[in-house]
Amino acid sequence: MALRAVWLIRHEPGTPLGGTVRFSRRYPTVEKRAKAFNGMTYVPVPEDGPFLRALLFQLRLLDDDKDFMERRDGCSRINKTSIYGLSVGGEELWPVIAFLRDSMIYASVPLVEQALSPRPPLISISGVSQGLELLLGIQDFLYSSQKNDTDLHTKLSQLPDLLLQACPLGTLLDANLQNSLNSINSVSVTQPQKQPAWKVGAYKGKAQISISITETVKCMQYGKQDIADTWQVAGTVACKCDLEGVMPAVTISLSLPTNGSPLQDIIVHPCVTSLDSAILTSSSIDTMDDSAFSGPYKFPFTPPLESFNLCHYTSQVPVPPILGSYHMKEEGVQLKVTVNFKLHESVRNNFEVCEAHIPFYNRGPITHLEYKASFGQLEVFREKSLLVWIIGQKFPKSMEISLSGTLTFGVKGHNKQPFDHICIGNTAYIKLNFRIADYTLTGCYADQHSVQVFASGKPKISAYRKLISSDYYIWNSKAPAPVTYASLLP
Amino acid sequence: MGPLGREAWAQRLGAFRASPSAFLAGAEGEDLGRDLLSDLRSEKLSEQTKVSLLTLSLEYSDKLWPDAPAAEAAATSLLDTLVLLPTRPSALRRLLLLAATTALVSGDALGPTSGASCRLLPLLLGLASGRDLGRSFGTPSEQRHLQATACECLGELERCKPGLLAGALGMLRSLPGQTGPIQPVSLLLALVLHDTLVVQSRSGAGLQGLLVAEDFSTGSCPWDWTLAEEWDAHLKPQGPSWPTAGEEERGFPVLEPSPEDARELKAAVAQLLDTSYLLTPVAQAQLLWLLGWALRGLRGQPPVLFKPQLVRLLGTAQLTLLHSVLSLKAAFGEALFTAQDEALLLRRLTLGAQHPALPSPTHLFYLHCILSFPENCPLGPEGEEAAPLLLGPQLCRGLMPSLLHDPTVLLARLHLLCLLCADDEEEEKDQTQGPQWFLQEVLAGLQQRAALDGGPRALATLCFQASYLVTNCLTRHSTVQTFLIRGLAQLYRARPSLAPHFVDLLDQVSPELREPLREVLLQEAVARPGESEALCWHLQMLAKVAEGATQSTTLSFLQAAAVHCTDWGLHQALLRVCRALLRTGGGDGLANLLQELARQLENADGRDHARLYYVLLSHLSSSKLGMALGPSLAAPALASSLMAENQGFSSALMVQETSAPIQLSVGPQQAKGPLPVLCLQVQALDAPVYSLELRFRVEGQLYEPLEAVHIPCLRPGQPAHPLYLLLQPRCPAPARLHVRALYSTSAGLTCHARLPPLSVNFADLFLPFPRLPKGSELRFFDELWNSCLPKGVESRVWCPLGQQGLEALVSQYLEPFVVLAQPPTTYLIAIRLPPASMLLLRLEKAQVDGVPVALRTDDWAVLPLVGDYLRGLAAH
Repeated sequence: MALRAVWLIRHEPGTPLGGTVRFSRRYPTVEKRAKAFNGMTYVPVPEDGPFLRALLFQLRLLDDDKDFMERRDGCSRINKTSIYGLSVGGEELWPVIAFLRDSMIYASVPLVEQALSPRPPLISISGVSQGLELLLGIQDFLYSSQKNDTDLHTKLSQLPDLLLQACPLGTLLDANLQNSLNSINSVSVTQPQKQPAWKVGAYKGKAQISISITETVKCMQYGKQDIADTWQVAGTVACKCDLEGVMPAVTISLSLPTNGSPLQDIIVHPCVTSLDSAILTSSSIDTMDDSAFSGPYKFPFTPPLESFNLCHYTSQVPVPPILGSYHMKEEGVQLKVTVNFKLHESVRNNFEVCEAHIPFYNRGPITHLEYKASFGQLEVFREKSLLVWIIGQKFPKSMEISLSGTLTFGVKGHNKQPFDHICIGNTAYIKLNFRIADYTLTGCYADQHSVQVFASGKPKISAYRKLISSDYYIWNSKAPAPVTYASLLP
Repeated sequence: MGPLGREAWAQRLGAFRASPSAFLAGAEGEDLGRDLLSDLRSEKLSEQTKVSLLTLSLEYSDKLWPDAPAAEAAATSLLDTLVLLPTRPSALRRLLLLAATTALVSGDALGPTSGASCRLLPLLLGLASGRDLGRSFGTPSEQRHLQATACECLGELERCKPGLLAGALGMLRSLPGQTGPIQPVSLLLALVLHDTLVVQSRSGAGLQGLLVAEDFSTGSCPWDWTLAEEWDAHLKPQGPSWPTAGEEERGFPVLEPSPEDARELKAAVAQLLDTSYLLTPVAQAQLLWLLGWALRGLRGQPPVLFKPQLVRLLGTAQLTLLHSVLSLKAAFGEALFTAQDEALLLRRLTLGAQHPALPSPTHLFYLHCILSFPENCPLGPEGEEAAPLLLGPQLCRGLMPSLLHDPTVLLARLHLLCLLCADDEEEEKDQTQGPQWFLQEVLAGLQQRAALDGGPRALATLCFQASYLVTNCLTRHSTVQTFLIRGLAQLYRARPSLAPHFVDLLDQVSPELREPLREVLLQEAVARPGESEALCWHLQMLAKVAEGATQSTTLSFLQAAAVHCTDWGLHQALLRVCRALLRTGGGDGLANLLQELARQLENADGRDHARLYYVLLSHLSSSKLGMALGPSLAAPALASSLMAENQGFSSALMVQETSAPIQLSVGPQQAKGPLPVLCLQVQALDAPVYSLELRFRVEGQLYEPLEAVHIPCLRPGQPAHPLYLLLQPRCPAPARLHVRALYSTSAGLTCHARLPPLSVNFADLFLPFPRLPKGSELRFFDELWNSCLPKGVESRVWCPLGQQGLEALVSQYLEPFVVLAQPPTTYLIAIRLPPASMLLLRLEKAQVDGVPVALRTDDWAVLPLVGDYLRGLAAH
């Protein structure tokens, strides 16, 4: 349940070491216990230098994969989790939790309260989830509302103090470092009893609540008879409640219009105090029918001070917002391309952004292009072998637009044009990026009148909605495409 | 040395952190701990610098004060510093408490005899209980703040000495309702409760009213070193360990508390659980692990207390919370989770493993949890990853792999898919949309990507790891295996440079796949002869897969390839294939090829190798070839084939050092002929010995070099084999013979052994003079006698007689050399000593215990030997 050490490493490809340790923290009292519990199988936590080398090798982050190396490339060396065994000084340090995010490597070694040989299953080690949670917490802290490198630097320099609060002796007290930061800053404030540990201090000022629903839509369109298109909506409800009092109680209800798509796979923030069983059980695993629970979805909670995600959900909408087709064929040295998009009539035709990226991987630079677009402008990035079709704020009245053209490519330059291991041959895709404000695909909205607040003062309530695309792919229908299991089911 | 400045300390700490071991070994290393403690009291240093000093001591106290006396002294100094702090609020108080705790624990100084421990414990308990400690310890508001830190320190002491705070249970129990922050007090109470229950159940005692609040200021001691010592003796995993099914049967102790204790306990646990939502998620999870494990060993404490929490916890899909629910599931099974609850938990877990709002490490951990799910009624073998019974294809639909996933996710999901396919007992016949079909789609995609020319190695590695995973899970699914083999063959055809991966795969997979895969790869490799960039990879592949049975195609490939092998590396690769073929049975074709190579190859090393192989092929039986060239056991992982080859030879073909397989002894001598002959007897000891060659070396080169002796075969149990060794002395002196045996075992190995040395005695060299005509003996002897002087010497020796008389002595030892005997008065004895000396003895009338001997020899050097010989006769 405790951690022996934590590291934060910046991955720097191309440098001699491949990275630098930006922060590390060890816990000698936990190490003491590790020695006792692990017995003969105890392997001490190494110093930063050897640890860095071993970790980068294990994560394949050193630039030396030219030759086959059994210790790394052997077919039986399979990693199915973010937990690794590192070879340090001839011994194996295990378990090491590690993952790479935004060129930062987050790593930690949890205490295992038994001998390490044979290896106990990860599920039996409480320190694994604690360690992972801390690392994810650090990541959240570093990258939430971070704007530039200076921000990151400031936050990195705060880490030693924050960890002294959040994990002073190796046993994690709070994975939310923002909370620890608040507690450092509010040393003089006396905590009343019954104050939640995840809420340090109290808000003073005008009461207000902001609720913003962001839906992202993922899509795979193949344009083929035997492969079904798939799409999924994922929603996040973020809240910021500025309310006075120790434990103000709030209930937010999410509602759907009559033809809205039911919310599924709902997971809530730990501050939610109770949950309707219908909310808990509505799941995308089950086939949908009319009896599906369609709200209103009530979430009673006691808000923390900072902005937080009240809940996440997914949903199956009946049709994707934009239907596309992509035909790409090679004719001699030329590539013929035809693209069609159709906006569904139910979708709000008012985009903040809408553009289609048409990359041509594993080819040379674009040397020649002839095209005809029924709408919008086309930007050509010859060296990058990329076309970007800027559709703009609105689809035309017909709701349909098209683009056709022929391209020729030059000789593939070394490392100039992008390599892709999916788009081999004529396998190709278009990626649609769009954003629509004040709209959700499911129709989900937070009814301002149904928000109940048990606190002094009537708060001002504001609600926002947004739809954004993520991984919205239209595959070339004239070539094979990577299918998902769901798209093969009848 | 005066206190360092801020800059100097920052530099020093930086140098230390860069490499603590190097710093401590350096000149400044010794002083660091001491300077740190003294500078904490310096008034010149800012609080911020002191904070950084204390932070360092928290992290490295085991390095700064590694032994108990040093740790004790450090903790004492830290506590002194704490007392000396001015009254105003200071960030140092909290850190000093943490640092003292850390120093005591990590330096192993915590104990009843440690002064610092006995100062720290009451201080921490006082702070934790919220009592006012007086002005010297900060303002009352700061003291309240330190309450949390004190609880954390106490918790750490308790974790390192479980049972230490059992006596404080009553006091701790009364805290949550009163003042102070809820989380530290709840966690400490849960920890102490857990430890106490586990210790008590081990010792068989009850709770004995420990839970009832007690005012320890009245005299009873709130800490208990004896309980802690008991734990120390067998430091076992404390609470947060995974209970496995059947633990009770294996003697897990069960505690049955008294009704009052049970009531108190229930109330305490319920109180902790009721307020648990006020804790941070990670702390809630710790609480649940601790309480779950603590209550597991109690009779009459139904786990329903946990039930009200479950819905709330399941709703979050928060990593630590769901993990702790799983620990409750493992601890209580059906008693807490009905079949429906179990299904719901599994569904939430499946959801967590794929929810778009959760990060990938969390997905992967949940996937692991699914495959290790603690089922109410497990079917499979314990400890093995398997898909739970309730997890059907429907539930897994969203957990299928796709080529768009990153390698770890893909492998984890592929594993699940394989397990699903394995559960499909009936192999799908012509289903085109089942899991097995999809598996093949994924494999095909992976192979296609691995085949990309110039693609990163990670893609190839992924493909081979997936192949390995599939063959391991689906050994008996012939359709999948056939598909996989066909795909791999295609992959090799497209990208022979992946040969090292193929070789690795062949080494790892089970024989069911290895043999068919080997065959198709062999075909692929020999199918494209001639000059090409891929030649070196084909050769590398053939060295692994070539076998004698399919030689002809391989040979013609090699013949064609030989022309294009232009550099040393290719020669070696080519020869490695030849070696592989030699190992699995030679043949005429191979002999021809090797001869050709021995003539044709450009570099001498290659030619020599080819010639060596040719010699081996033409001189060794196939079984011996196999052994000589087989993988060397001595050095299985040598990278260089040449080295490996040498190893193979030295262990198998060359000669192996063994212990003596035979016994060699000296038999009775037969003094006749022109030269002395040593009569030996040879016997095999344990095993038959073939082609035995005995080699002798004379110590000091006293004799001419000896010829080796050959014996075709010796078997144990047969009568000793006589052996006559002709000695050609260079001077008449005894000598030692060193003997070495070279032989073959029945397994065909050639061995070498040193035998114990043989001694050639002085008497072994004795030769008689030719027989003389009757009557001429005396004259002959006199002539010899006279001829000895003046060159030689004359002497008289007393030859002792033992029990036996003179007659017996002479007949036993000197019979062949007697020229004239006139018993019992005189014996005239003439001995030839090769190469060209003689010894004449006149034995006179025997007296009571000996006989005087007059002797002459033409070689004065033998005189001492004669003396020894004669004096030693009686001792025989």
